[in-house]
Amino acid sequence: MSLFLFKKRREKKSIRESGLGISRKYSLPPGKSYVIEETPPSISFDAFSNLISTADERGNKTVGMAVTRQHPDLVREKYGLEKTPIYWLATRAGEGVISPTNLGILTHTMIKFVEDNENGVILLDGLEYLVSNNDFNKVLRVIDQVNDHISQSGTRLILPVDPRVFEPRELALLERNMEKISALATAD
Amino acid sequence: MRILVVDDSEAFRKVMTELLVRAGFHEVSEAGDFDEALKVYKGNHPTIVFVDMVLPGRSGVELTKEILKTDPNAKVIAMSSIINKSMIKQSLDAGAKDFLLKPTNEIALSSVLSMWSD
Repeated sequence: MSLFLFKKRREKKSIRESGLGISRKYSLPPGKSYVIEETPPSISFDAFSNLISTADERGNKTVGMAVTRQHPDLVREKYGLEKTPIYWLATRAGEGVISPTNLGILTHTMIKFVEDNENGVILLDGLEYLVSNNDFNKVLRVIDQVNDHISQSGTRLILPVDPRVFEPRELALLERNMEKISALATAD
Repeated sequence: MRILVVDDSEAFRKVMTELLVRAGFHEVSEAGDFDEALKVYKGNHPTIVFVDMVLPGRSGVELTKEILKTDPNAKVIAMSSIINKSMIKQSLDAGAKDFLLKPTNEIALSSVLSMWSD
């Protein structure tokens, strides 16, 4: 039995990215969720890739998981991600694809990541797409559920939001248990 | 503190300059390529130089080396619109202090400036 467990542990694929040798530019303490109102989600992706490619002041590295509307190959290419799991929010079937209507799988995938990793970051990009495929309150429940797990963990959640898509009341509900990050950005 | 922004996109330089001015850095100069950058650098010796790694003609890595040949204490921050690990390594090996992904923003920029401005 113990030999089996040892073998299983040894076979677990590392999802840690190699360091880039650059500085950490975002201070996002774990145990919190961060909402960033922006279009396109450039600050969110920069923060996510910077966190997982650098070490904190104690030398601890962070592992990440992304759920995105963008094709994972494009995300990997732009942000130099080799090992980080990236799930594609899409209606097509396939490995690494999560259907926007399957909120159960989405919730389970994020909560499992929180439970399996001590110092992690989740990027959830595509909230607008989720809301267009589901009732807003159902999506809010997913966010709240994940947020509850995040708050008792060493992981953080980054949630880019296009403020043009939501009503003020919906934005307020989304942001009530999250820290809001605002910053001006340059064009590409 | 004097800052030089080197990028072939005038639009990017303008917005970057705007962000730097908003952050309290008013002495910002701009250059669009290797030759112009070197000329501006030699003219006013900025404390920090933001260099896009992809420039028309001679590259940002070559510019980094040339600036450091002129002034070994120069602080060059490499920039690029994709995270290409080998390109970042080349930049750091050439002497760049740090890397900034484009598009950038106030948070990342402030972090770089506070780290390298003293």
